[in-house]
Amino acid sequence: MATDVRKADVLVIGAGGAGVMAAVEAARAGAGVILLSKEPVGYGDTRIALGAMSTSPDTAAGDSEDAFVEDMIRGGEYLNDPRLVRALVADAMDATLTLEGFGHVFLRNREGVLTRMEVPPGGHRASRVISSPWLGVSMCHALRSAAARADIEVLEETVCSELLVEDGEVVGAAALRTMTGEPIALLAKSTVVAAGGAGSLYYPHTDCMPAVVGDSFGLGLRAGAELVDMEQVQFLPFGITHPPALLGIPCGEPVVAGPFGRLLNNRGEVVLENIMPMTRAQVARVIVEEIRKGGGTEHGGLLLDLAPNLKSREGEFFVAMLKKFAGPFLEGARKAYGREAAEFRVPWDVLPTAHYNMGGIRTDEWCRSRVPGLYACGQAQGGVMGGNRLGSTSLTEIFVFGKRAGRTAAEEARERGRADQGAACEALDRLRSLRGSRGSRRPVELKRRLQGLMWEKAGPLRDGQGLEKALDGIGAIREGAKNLRITDLSRCNQEILDAIELPHMLATAEAIVVSAQERRESRGAHVRSDFPGRDEEGPVQNILVEMRDGRCICRRREAGK
Amino acid sequence: MNIRISIRRVDPDKGGEPQWTDYEVPADERTTVLESLMYIYENTDPTLAFRFGCRFDKCGLCAVEVNGRPKMACFTEVEEGMKIGPLRGMPVVRDLVIDRAAYFEALRGLEIYIPEQGDRSTPQVIRQSEAHKKLLSCVECLACNATCPNYDFSKNPLSGPYVFVKLAQLHFDPRNTVDRRAQARELGVQSCAECRKCTCIHGINIRKQAIEVLTAQ
Repeated sequence: MATDVRKADVLVIGAGGAGVMAAVEAARAGAGVILLSKEPVGYGDTRIALGAMSTSPDTAAGDSEDAFVEDMIRGGEYLNDPRLVRALVADAMDATLTLEGFGHVFLRNREGVLTRMEVPPGGHRASRVISSPWLGVSMCHALRSAAARADIEVLEETVCSELLVEDGEVVGAAALRTMTGEPIALLAKSTVVAAGGAGSLYYPHTDCMPAVVGDSFGLGLRAGAELVDMEQVQFLPFGITHPPALLGIPCGEPVVAGPFGRLLNNRGEVVLENIMPMTRAQVARVIVEEIRKGGGTEHGGLLLDLAPNLKSREGEFFVAMLKKFAGPFLEGARKAYGREAAEFRVPWDVLPTAHYNMGGIRTDEWCRSRVPGLYACGQAQGGVMGGNRLGSTSLTEIFVFGKRAGRTAAEEARERGRADQGAACEALDRLRSLRGSRGSRRPVELKRRLQGLMWEKAGPLRDGQGLEKALDGIGAIREGAKNLRITDLSRCNQEILDAIELPHMLATAEAIVVSAQERRESRGAHVRSDFPGRDEEGPVQNILVEMRDGRCICRRREAGK
Repeated sequence: MNIRISIRRVDPDKGGEPQWTDYEVPADERTTVLESLMYIYENTDPTLAFRFGCRFDKCGLCAVEVNGRPKMACFTEVEEGMKIGPLRGMPVVRDLVIDRAAYFEALRGLEIYIPEQGDRSTPQVIRQSEAHKKLLSCVECLACNATCPNYDFSKNPLSGPYVFVKLAQLHFDPRNTVDRRAQARELGVQSCAECRKCTCIHGINIRKQAIEVLTAQ
């Protein structure tokens, strides 16, 4: 049977907010575009985002671009790339308007004027935040509309197994149409990776979509890109612990504790108070430390007691705010723990849950990686958020850098030729060989083992010994992955999809673990019990990772330059 | 405790009629249909095909039929003897997975988007109605089509209620320039006006908020 080969100027991998924006922008710049989406378009983490997004600072109210940049870099504990932060802030309004042009409407006042919310999220000195009706779903209506309206070829339910590299340049990708099981070769002059983060590398301890397992990082690493600060994985401190169906579903961040909320252990002792001003990482650390000391409940969490807020005027005000702005969190608590809990009269059993990867493919402010022909945007990209992402900035990130990546990829495609079909032969053979493999290990079993290992050893609290074990475990799983057993169905074969994701997951996991070993301090979201403080000697450093002979190798560079 | 559930299996590549297959799964009072499907895939039958996303009723991916009614697998507690199948009326890729891409491809001719708004430097003034906001809560699970007594993708892909929810959504967008009522009329919305059978499992009142809006003069 003839191989399905398609050609484009710009290939975009991933179709959440960043990918759709990149594809549409590249088409506007005159490029022929193919957009690949593992799920249907608009079914990545953008779909379940809370919908609050930072737009440009309100200069009339005394806010400024400089202030916004400073807030992000202070919040990021000085690991951010300042060029990227400045780009995000400078383009925030432009990205807002482009998304509205897709069909989205951010919430407005009675007169129909776009207004920023009164209360800024933690770490912002002024509010730049606008919000959407109904979480990310309303944005995804607009994304799907934009993809339908634009002159682009959309390949839904198509998963990318590897990028094609020729003479050190990325020249396209090999992929599988998951519904039919047919391999497909994509030859492109520019390739944009926009396949999101890796929250589900910690499944079920995550609030991310299950498809978001690190495809971006695996694809990038294996094509020669460098990743930056991969140890920086953000955990929301408060996720549901039970019933098992809801494990990892988010029920809050520090501000949800209110002025008088407190964390209790299984003996009813107060473990933490004054939670509201703390960062997500600081609270997550306290929870995991206490659980390791034996203070966890029968469901493995701590108890978040919000009832003291009900006893004061300040607390009452806070409770009213929470009902207004934290609806999805309260919904999680209600579903898991009942109505009394959602009214704050019964404590919530909570455990941190993986939410966002600050680290990612290292790019310049126009989304170029170090590999010619390869661009990255959105959560795939590193350096924007440093060690800690401020609330409401990730949606800004995906649209700002999606737009930049699309434009750069289209412009630079004009200067490049296109590889011929031969470049895809080996990659397609590797894909074809998966179906009906007769080894002994099921891909899903290895995925689950890796996910459990990452939660146990490379989660919200780490130490040298645990990271060493994580690395050994990854090695063992990698060995197992050489011996897969896969059924021989073509249509919608979940096992083939698992087998394609597994190498991306292994590469991402290794990058996180070796970076976490290399950073012998606690900074941002990276917390080590054996190095509990920041390393204050010498300049702040970024940890960079690349892949050599199939292994992740670290180096350091001075941050902020 | 273990219970037995029955799943409708079909692989068009292999031909033949769909078959109901029984599976034994562990369950307590809060175990969900989705957990049971995952248990089967991970432990007893690697060939089972189904789809899911957020696990929290937000993304719309895991809609299936349970005992003949559309439900989100992630938010439905599993019970002894349950029969689980794909959404009726929709094309099936395999087992419980419906062909979403084919469905949305069929919608392409309807221009389900607003026109390009041009380059702007400041936000537009947009008065968004509550009706528009409510319709945007649609998670596109497509369960509504399975509640329509006449819907059959193979006969007419655009006859079910979802398309009218989408058209009503666009009708309320102040930037919309296409006559969505005319489109709805062409698709036969009048015949829906008398029927009250379709429902939305996520709380949109399809009749009031979509059908009546599109049939109004």
